[in-house]
Amino acid sequence: MGQNSHSPVLMAVWDLSVTVEDLGADAPPITVSVTSDLHIGGVILKLVEKSQVKRDWSDHALWWEQKQQWLLRTAWTLEKCGIQADAGLIFMAQHKSLRLGLPNGLTLRLRACFSGPVFRTVLGICKMLNIRRPEELSLLRPVEEKKRKKDKDLSEELHDLTEVPLTSVSRPCLYNGMPAHFADSLQTEKVYKMLSVSQPAPAPEAIAKLYRPASVVDKAHIHSRWLDSSRSLMQQGVQQNDRLWLRFKYYCFHDLEPKYDVVRLTQMYEQARWAILLEDIDCTEEEMLLFGAIQYHINKLSLTEPQTMTSSPAMDDLDSALQGLEVKLDGAESSPQDMLENLTAPELNDYLKIFRPKRLTLKGYKQYWFKFKDASISYYKSKEESLGEPIQQINLKGCEAAPDVNVAGQKFCIKLLIPAPEGMNEVYLRCENEEQYSRWMAACRLASKGKSLADRLFQSEVQSILSFLAMQQTNPNTHTDDSMSINTHSLVSPRYSKKYKVKQLTPRILEAYQNVAQLSLTDALLRFLQIWQALPDFGISFVVVRFKGSRKDEVLGIAPNRLIRIDLGVGDVVKTWRYNNMRQWNVNWDIRQVAIEFDGNVNMAFSCVTADCKIVHEFIGGYIFMSTRSREQSDTLNEELFHKLTGGHEAL
Amino acid sequence: MDDIDAMFSDLLGEMDLLTQSLGVETLPPEPPSSSSKEMNFSMGFADMNVESLNELEENDLDALMADLMADLNDTEEKLGGQKEAEAPHTDLPPASHGFSFYPESSLSTPTSPERGPNTFSAPLADSPAPILSPPTLPQHAKLSMEEIEAQMKADKIKLALEKLKEAKVKKLVVKVVMHDGSSKTLMVDERQTVRDVLDNLFEKTHCDCNVDWSLSETNPELQLERGFEEHENLVDPLSAWTRDSENKVLFQERPDKYEVFKNPQNFYLWKKDKKTIKDMKDRDKELLVEENFCGTSIIVPDLEGVLYLREDGKKSWKQRLFLLRASGIYYVPKGKSKTSRDLVCFVQFDNVNVYYGKEFKNKYKAPTDFCFVLKHPQIQKESQYIKYLCCDDAWTMNLWVTGIRIAKYGKSLYENYKTSMKKAAITTAWTNRTAGTTSIPSTPSPTTKAKASGQANGHAPQPPAEPVAKVGNAPPPPPPMLPTQILPPPPPDPVLPPPPPPLANKKSPPATSVPRQLPSLPTSFPPSPTSMANLPPPPPSLSQDDSSESPPDFLPPPPPTLGFGPGAGSLPPPPPVSFLPPPPPDPGFPLPPPPPDPAFCPVTNRDSLPAPPPRQSNIGAGAPPPPPPPPSASAGLQSTPSVRRTGPPPPKRTTPPLAAPGGGDFMSELAKAMAKKRGNQ
Repeated sequence: MGQNSHSPVLMAVWDLSVTVEDLGADAPPITVSVTSDLHIGGVILKLVEKSQVKRDWSDHALWWEQKQQWLLRTAWTLEKCGIQADAGLIFMAQHKSLRLGLPNGLTLRLRACFSGPVFRTVLGICKMLNIRRPEELSLLRPVEEKKRKKDKDLSEELHDLTEVPLTSVSRPCLYNGMPAHFADSLQTEKVYKMLSVSQPAPAPEAIAKLYRPASVVDKAHIHSRWLDSSRSLMQQGVQQNDRLWLRFKYYCFHDLEPKYDVVRLTQMYEQARWAILLEDIDCTEEEMLLFGAIQYHINKLSLTEPQTMTSSPAMDDLDSALQGLEVKLDGAESSPQDMLENLTAPELNDYLKIFRPKRLTLKGYKQYWFKFKDASISYYKSKEESLGEPIQQINLKGCEAAPDVNVAGQKFCIKLLIPAPEGMNEVYLRCENEEQYSRWMAACRLASKGKSLADRLFQSEVQSILSFLAMQQTNPNTHTDDSMSINTHSLVSPRYSKKYKVKQLTPRILEAYQNVAQLSLTDALLRFLQIWQALPDFGISFVVVRFKGSRKDEVLGIAPNRLIRIDLGVGDVVKTWRYNNMRQWNVNWDIRQVAIEFDGNVNMAFSCVTADCKIVHEFIGGYIFMSTRSREQSDTLNEELFHKLTGGHEAL
Repeated sequence: MDDIDAMFSDLLGEMDLLTQSLGVETLPPEPPSSSSKEMNFSMGFADMNVESLNELEENDLDALMADLMADLNDTEEKLGGQKEAEAPHTDLPPASHGFSFYPESSLSTPTSPERGPNTFSAPLADSPAPILSPPTLPQHAKLSMEEIEAQMKADKIKLALEKLKEAKVKKLVVKVVMHDGSSKTLMVDERQTVRDVLDNLFEKTHCDCNVDWSLSETNPELQLERGFEEHENLVDPLSAWTRDSENKVLFQERPDKYEVFKNPQNFYLWKKDKKTIKDMKDRDKELLVEENFCGTSIIVPDLEGVLYLREDGKKSWKQRLFLLRASGIYYVPKGKSKTSRDLVCFVQFDNVNVYYGKEFKNKYKAPTDFCFVLKHPQIQKESQYIKYLCCDDAWTMNLWVTGIRIAKYGKSLYENYKTSMKKAAITTAWTNRTAGTTSIPSTPSPTTKAKASGQANGHAPQPPAEPVAKVGNAPPPPPPMLPTQILPPPPPDPVLPPPPPPLANKKSPPATSVPRQLPSLPTSFPPSPTSMANLPPPPPSLSQDDSSESPPDFLPPPPPTLGFGPGAGSLPPPPPVSFLPPPPPDPGFPLPPPPPDPAFCPVTNRDSLPAPPPRQSNIGAGAPPPPPPPPSASAGLQSTPSVRRTGPPPPKRTTPPLAAPGGGDFMSELAKAMAKKRGNQ
């Protein structure tokens, strides 16, 4: 009223033309008559009336194309927004479909919020996908791919979640082992399976074709692609149906609970797996082989028991009861049955050949009658003499049993390193065929851990040895979909594929596999993540920066607990600063410089070369935010604090 | 020599009982042991002893098994029909199989011919009824008499088998050299962890119990020394010693043991300048520990540096750049960079332990005396399989040895530390408390004894009542036990020493502090509530039971003492009641007061196997009963009143039942789950 009285001029009615996206690109804009004190809500009302289209417009809002901003405050007047007749407004839905690349490499089409800050968009996406702790993830622009678009498009169509009504996205309520909104149709159920079960091993050729960062600078470039979490997708130029990647961005995984985090855990594993396969994170050969072995194990389990991690309420108790059984069976001594079996331990008896390199006699392999019982091997001249005293008895507890196998050459040897007070004794046992080898090898392995043949693990151990031998027989070029015949080259990074032939690689992975073969699927996933997290380079995001006063580019590594200054040439760590010594940090937006002060008057400042300093700011602030999350704290996410710490004042 | 004699009589008594329980007329083990009396006390003797015992059992077992198998078929047939009626069992073939397997009657006979069936059935008959945990009751109500009988038989057999198993437990007599050069002799069974043995030694030495106290082994031949980690079973490493070994076990303070938790910055920020490290604030230290030990993954300090490596077979030492990673020690080959992919693996930790080398400058012409060694624990003599490394200074050596321990033991190391801290805090509180009044040992022992006798007299009725109530509380926390367990912060705030968990809690406020066994227990625990039903189910997880059970053996003092000591003085609590929920067993387990019948429990009890009531009184007075002889023996040593010796046994007695709940419950739990599932459908 007040405005009306002293500035009647503003009351003038003028025409505002607005493009309604839903009417199609060719449709002329709709023109409504407005006054400058009309609020945005009023404009929308008029617009809808005039369009004469009856539908639910509630998700729609005005987008100011020229200024690249949403007009979301419906109570603001046109004048307050600064809108005049020449403003090219577009009336469009706030949620649009987006092609989302998941950590597992597959693409999902879903509806995401294009109007809120990206932080909140990610929240929405994670809620739909049933990923807890969404603050650890963010969106980034994908690395461009060369050609081969066709098959990608195909797979996208398979994973469409756009039909899921946004209002029904409810996390807590589970139906049939999955969030209710996935249980609506067979198609969405399939999507959930894709999310919650790890993908089969990729073909080695596929790995080789993917982009691999060759240097720390390459790695730094990837981090320039993160979207600004305080601004909306539209504001950052993302269009409907564009492709974005969803990735874990902050490497401090809070409160990981396999029971509730099926999707989160699976995707985390996928991200870790790809980081290793694509050499995004460096590891040693031994570590690579162990990663390979766990991948193999996870692949196998995912195929055979894909639903173990999800559980419906009815199944819960049974599951726990069954788990109880497992536990019980595990402790071999536990049940009387086990005890009985242990007391009447089965044996293995066979003619094998033995070779002891330490003995000076260079006789080579000699045949004896072998008996395996109670974690030790005895051998006799012949079967007939096996009732008498053995020539020798070897206790295998604490020994190392390594394969020395060449399937093509029909060589099946077990190399035993048996500890004795004087050192390790080397013994080779030669078996006739796969079948014999697998039984004796399994027995040796169990014995080395102090378990007897009666252990329930014996049969599974035999099976896994056989399946690994089978892998060596299959031609690496024919990739069948038989789960047992995975090409081991698909379990390691191309560097090792090049370095080793399949038949060299397989036995080594088999060796590493024996230590993980008995893990459950969840435990295997967790183990993989643990080893990943224990790598020295874990969780470091690189940015190329130039330190104040320095004339050359250097690398800044941003880790969950510290900043690392790395020499670009040599790769040496020059200095580290820990966040908990940090006093304050500032960003000078004009000269794009980040300045940080630490305890004891330590100051540092740098300008960013590969990434915007907002990204660096967000990383540092983000990690500090992550560290404020405590165990007791409830699930409520302090969004405001996040934006404050990450310089996202725009979002507030 | 006195103590040795005492120990011998223990030993003999034990073997005696053992053989009787096995129904063997002859006593083979005796001769060797008595003859060895003259021998020096050494590992060799202990081994002999163990061997002979084992031998005896083996023979027996064979016979036993034959009987068992014969009866098996009968019972199986019989049971077959009944089972069909009972859905849960038929539904689950494996389970039912397990079930039908035991229901033989015969077993009890061979095992304990003297008082076999009678003694057995009596306690068992009792136990199912009163002890039955509420949840299982309904189910059992449905069972026919026959089934109950069958079940009882099954229980008996399990029990007998369990007993046999227990009898096989390996024990060693260990001479521990104290910090002042004197020595104490203990008996250690294979299920005891180093922690248990330490507790035992604390008890005997009245030292201040700080976290630095540790047990270590020395190998004079190789000039090596290593502190045992507290979660290790002491018997394992000792078994690797050779017969003529001059190795020793030392009880001493080792400040390096948990230095990493006291000053984590020294290890995790070793690259920083000295001043930053020195001025580290406590809060920052805590943060460091949290960061590296409390996450999803244990972080190993990123050590790298030039060390000297002793060349295989040669006498020279060669410098190499080594790096420590969680997966092992690596070195940088000549002309390569130290990027991960170029590293060559030097050693992985699965099969080796890390040892300090002593005076290697002399022995191996090492550049310095700051050497450490990696070797398989079984290797006791010079060998090419031993890896020798030499550092520039003591500090570097400490850094590496600790780093390797972190990589090898991971979380266990931190858990051990927390347990030690708790222990130390409790003890301090306790000593402060009692300092004015009475000497520690004297007060507790009488109490314990009182309780013991109370229990021995078979207070079956009382215990059940308590436990049942307990059961009600216990079940809920089955799922994510571990996390919660870990929560209790290391520094317990207990102003008061830990009282016996269950009952004491109700009576006295000091209950706040949780006895240290708590953490380990729950893991194995979930099923226990229901488990009461089938007593016998032995140690589903032997090891776990041990951890929870053994402490009581040796420290009857800490928990009970503490709990009761003060209270007992003023108002003597009803001994039986307070005792039954054996303090040591801890809150979770106490339920299974199945040890109601003395005759019965001794049978299960490995040590006190035979102990028929009459005998027992005997034992109580004279030679301490079978249980962990060490405590008693040493007790004698220290000239503590003989009463004290009886201390250990009582808690012991309760242990078998403790173990019991674990196993059988599974069945009922499964049945319940099945029923529920069907209901839901």
